[in-house]
Amino acid sequence: MKLFYKKDGGVIQLIDKEKINEWPIELPLIFIEYIRNNQLKSYTDTKVQKEVEQYLDEILKDVAIPRLIEVLEGNKDDEILNALIRIEELANKKIELVKPIKPYIENLLKKDNKDILKLSKNILGSFTKAENRKKLAEKRKIMQLKEREFLEGKINGEEYAKARKEYLILKE
Amino acid sequence: MPSKASTNIIWDEENDLLLLGKQIMEKQFHSLASVADITRLMKVLEKVNELLIKDLHATKREIFYSAVQLFGDQKNSDKSIEDVATMLYTTRNSTHIVASAKGSCIGRLRIRDKNDIIDLEGLGSGGWTISPMLDNIEILESDAEFILVLEKDAAMIRLSEARFWRKYPCIILTAKGAADIATRMFLRRLSKDLNLPVFTLVDSDPYGHYIHSVYLRGSKRLSYESPFLATPNIKLLGVLTRDLDKYKIPKDCRIPMNNTDIKRTKELLSEDFVKKNKEWEKDLKLALNLKIKAEIQALSTFGFEFLTDQYLPEKLTTGDWI
Repeated sequence: MKLFYKKDGGVIQLIDKEKINEWPIELPLIFIEYIRNNQLKSYTDTKVQKEVEQYLDEILKDVAIPRLIEVLEGNKDDEILNALIRIEELANKKIELVKPIKPYIENLLKKDNKDILKLSKNILGSFTKAENRKKLAEKRKIMQLKEREFLEGKINGEEYAKARKEYLILKE
Repeated sequence: MPSKASTNIIWDEENDLLLLGKQIMEKQFHSLASVADITRLMKVLEKVNELLIKDLHATKREIFYSAVQLFGDQKNSDKSIEDVATMLYTTRNSTHIVASAKGSCIGRLRIRDKNDIIDLEGLGSGGWTISPMLDNIEILESDAEFILVLEKDAAMIRLSEARFWRKYPCIILTAKGAADIATRMFLRRLSKDLNLPVFTLVDSDPYGHYIHSVYLRGSKRLSYESPFLATPNIKLLGVLTRDLDKYKIPKDCRIPMNNTDIKRTKELLSEDFVKKNKEWEKDLKLALNLKIKAEIQALSTFGFEFLTDQYLPEKLTTGDWI
């Protein structure tokens, strides 16, 4: 177990990276997400929280992503397909988790296997949707600002209409 | 195959374990006296082979039902299962033959059961039923500072209702009476992986002390499995005979020992591992002199919260254990 020592004398123990390496490929990501969402806050000690965050990043970088990439770069279509099914599930839950493997999924578009192509497109579609959602949220903020400025007479109608148009296009 | 006779069960002083010695016994294929035994043994081996190849688990009861006429009684199939494990120099769990789930665990622990992450703090008051298929279980995370093993489910309910582990970071488990293989194996895994101090809370009677000894160094019947089941660093936290006076347990909450209790206490006192632990020997001798015993529940004479608010915290903080 990997040990993290709290200031109050308490110890937090997390499973070793080496053991995680033997897990089914989708599980390390689920574990990382689980600890981040459910346990991290309970550790209270900020120093330990940071150390655990670093350890989780380490697992992501050294174990979770390389293992997924290894499968995606391989030649076994059935393994790739299984990996993609799990990646799609994770992408629907939290797209940030699978962001580092986006280029490898893009490479799969060159494959002949119809199922692999379909799943790859779905996952890449999820990335596009997520990026659009992010852009829209940014635009919405700008739009709210413009609205306020327009009502206060700081910008003219033309400038407001231009911002509104950009926002609506992105929204559609 | 290794002999399981009492003369071949030895106490390994260095590792503090009850182990099977080197004596070997023979079972003849062509003898009328042992042909039934051998046939049963082969049947179990066949089933073990099938389970391992298919990566499945079966209960002891299922093995019995796989050839009812051959086994006749479940005692026979159980014996053959033990013989197979002994012959293969492995644990029964490794043969994928398991007993039904019995023990439960609760507290500051997160585990993995195949692809599911289980939080043992978030399973209500019943806790997690210790899976007999421990090869599917992996310890993921814990911020516990000690492990508490309870003899009785009643004590588990008390600690669970008090959410004891929130104030005192710990993992609590019980086998609800006699220690079964899955609970012992899981406890050993916890103790080994997390390297935490382990304490038992048992009734102040010879049966409670015996349960503690089984967790500590294994049972004679399953001595071939001791290295995989025992938790040699476990401490007896209570209820000790000396606690009865120290905590002023009223006389009417103490039960007089019967002849069986006296006989069992004497048997325990004759064990080498008890003789070596002077404090344990002293407490058992005190019980024998006073000829009294008491249950964990006797502590609730001072209120239901006495166990969680005073007895356990005081014992743990003052280091009052054997």
